[in-house]
Amino acid sequence: MFGGDRIKIDKDLLEKIKKYAKVAGYSSPEEFVKHALEKELALLEDADSEEEIKKRLQGLGYIS
Amino acid sequence: MRAGRFWAATIFVALAFAISSNAKDSKRAMIVLGFDGMDYQMTRKLMSEGRMPNFSRLASQGIFQPLGTSIPPQSPVAWSNFITGMDAGGHGIFDFIHRDPKTMIPYLSTSRTAGSEKTFKVGKWQIPLSGGKVELLRHGQAFWERLEKAGVHTKIMRMPANFPPSGTASSELSGMGTPDIIGTYGTFAFFTSNRAPFEGKRISGGKVYDVQVRDGVVTGTLIGPTNPFLQEKKKLEREFNVYVDPVNPAAKIVVGDEERVVQVGEFTDWVPMQFDMIKTQKLHGMCRFYLKQVRPDFMLYVSPINIDPIQPALPISTPEELSKEIGESSGRFYTQGMPEDTKALSEGVFTRDEFLKQAQIAGDEIIRQYEKELQRFEDGLLFYYFGNNDQVDHMMWRTCDPTHPAYVAAVDSAYANVVPEIYEKMDAVVGYTLEHMKPGTTLLVMSDHGFTSWKRAFHLNSWLRDHGYLAVVDPNREDDPGLYANVDWTRTVAYGLGLNGLYINLRGREKWGIVNPADRDSLLEDISKKLLETIDPETGAPAITKVYRTDKVYEHKEYLDIAPDIIVGYAKGTRGSNESALGEIPKEEIVDNHEEWSGDHCMDHEAVPGILLMSQPLQKRVTSLQNLASAILTEFGVQGFQEGGEANLEALGYVTRGTK
Repeated sequence: MFGGDRIKIDKDLLEKIKKYAKVAGYSSPEEFVKHALEKELALLEDADSEEEIKKRLQGLGYIS
Repeated sequence: MRAGRFWAATIFVALAFAISSNAKDSKRAMIVLGFDGMDYQMTRKLMSEGRMPNFSRLASQGIFQPLGTSIPPQSPVAWSNFITGMDAGGHGIFDFIHRDPKTMIPYLSTSRTAGSEKTFKVGKWQIPLSGGKVELLRHGQAFWERLEKAGVHTKIMRMPANFPPSGTASSELSGMGTPDIIGTYGTFAFFTSNRAPFEGKRISGGKVYDVQVRDGVVTGTLIGPTNPFLQEKKKLEREFNVYVDPVNPAAKIVVGDEERVVQVGEFTDWVPMQFDMIKTQKLHGMCRFYLKQVRPDFMLYVSPINIDPIQPALPISTPEELSKEIGESSGRFYTQGMPEDTKALSEGVFTRDEFLKQAQIAGDEIIRQYEKELQRFEDGLLFYYFGNNDQVDHMMWRTCDPTHPAYVAAVDSAYANVVPEIYEKMDAVVGYTLEHMKPGTTLLVMSDHGFTSWKRAFHLNSWLRDHGYLAVVDPNREDDPGLYANVDWTRTVAYGLGLNGLYINLRGREKWGIVNPADRDSLLEDISKKLLETIDPETGAPAITKVYRTDKVYEHKEYLDIAPDIIVGYAKGTRGSNESALGEIPKEEIVDNHEEWSGDHCMDHEAVPGILLMSQPLQKRVTSLQNLASAILTEFGVQGFQEGGEANLEALGYVTRGTK
């Protein structure tokens, strides 16, 4: 899995991944895992900077 | 009339009504006008001075009374109490600002947006395979859903804490909580050739850009959200040009195919604009320009870029065509939830007069739309929200309170009539309604909370530090950027967030939690006791008059897992500070409020009741926002919510008046 770098996954979790990859319409468990990880990473990468978070909250008139 | 006799009479009338009314009266007509922030005491005063004749007329035939607000008395919480008939424990909105305990990052509490989950990547592009998602975070059934199920037609216009629209009314337009195009509550842009007055200032709620006038032309760029089609994080941009008249104080503004000629001191109408995401995909928005000055320095204000109601980028109405229909029949309008640009005033971009002019534009748009809506209204329920009163009061309250620390007679006395005049304007809306509503229609006028001066700012996090509950990394830090950057979580047991929230740094819940859950209760007792003992050295009076433990004060418990542990009920005139709300820890504990934002209500909820004015007594007794929805349902013969939310305002000295 994942080329030369292997990641160990608990057996029960792997069984679940196999089961739900099929249910969710992924072509393979690998594709499912890849998508799930990409989604999580995107969340972290897209996380706004603290300055942006503050700016967004400060748009609220109640806080200057 | 004595209070006891009044209630006896009300109950008698209610019973008589109940006996004669039919169940599920789907052809009944009721109009509910929601005036955000209309204060009971101010309303009574102006009524007694003869300045609100339509309120007085309605009160003389029906009832005028105080209306208990929510804990805490913040608009998203209060309106959610009204919508769901539950307290915050049941609907899950506890403050304007919540935090994710796993990341300790604060967020706006009523809605959440997320981009597309699946994308297809080609080169530098990524193609979203599904639409993004906007989620309403208010939980619980809206009262209008029960009416709809009983066959009653409901139209819910601009209800706060209802973005995206719930989809459960016959038609809805979202209100407070609706963001601008970049996802904030409103971010203005200011283009100037003289940036000096803003150097070194932290501009909140807007951005100041340098521009140059070259051969009579100014070129600026409007900034949109991140382009979802690009893998690289890049904001969308839209260029515009301003051609300055060489002689007259005027200019021509050109954005794409749109052109507007505007004089200095004038706002343009709405200018539709598009951001090009990819060749075939455009993001539609719109803005208003205000030409402040052309010489010697150039100054141009651009409103937050609003969602265009005619081509909405996010869901702002149900059915989706409704916003388009309104936009086409009454003209484009502010879709941003709180359109009055209070930030432009507090940051020195607007003068007071400019702010009042902009607020009037926003307020008049809504009144114009309401009048059209009223003409079409036949039966069922029409709810219409007006927020102008609240936002103008926030900025102008001190002008009618010479005891406010920032009051300067030479400046403020000239504006002493602004707040009463806004009340008069709302009175005129009631007058228009009385003249134009169909016979037999029940009219309710309500507000979500009252209002008062905000004189003293309480730095809750500083108080926690000084009492040993919060530890700082560097006690001498001068440039605290907030968001808890200066908090040492390994030694902190409690922290403040939002306008009334206090949280325990709980192990297993907070990211860096250290408090053993077994110790939580005693810690809360200890903090509560000390908060209530706090005396404001300036006034000699308690700074905090109520401390509400959320596990005890709320009847509903479903969402206590995201609730603050304590809601701080500041004394009338004191409010949680701006700094503390976002995790700063200033040196002092309590300071005078010198902000332009001089009026507020986020205090002890009993200090700031709202109003309820009814054209006739309802079958059910109403004491608070929380039991108002049930009373409305009962009028239509529909099963109400579980009773709750009793407020005894008479005992607090808010005299209830019935028919005069």
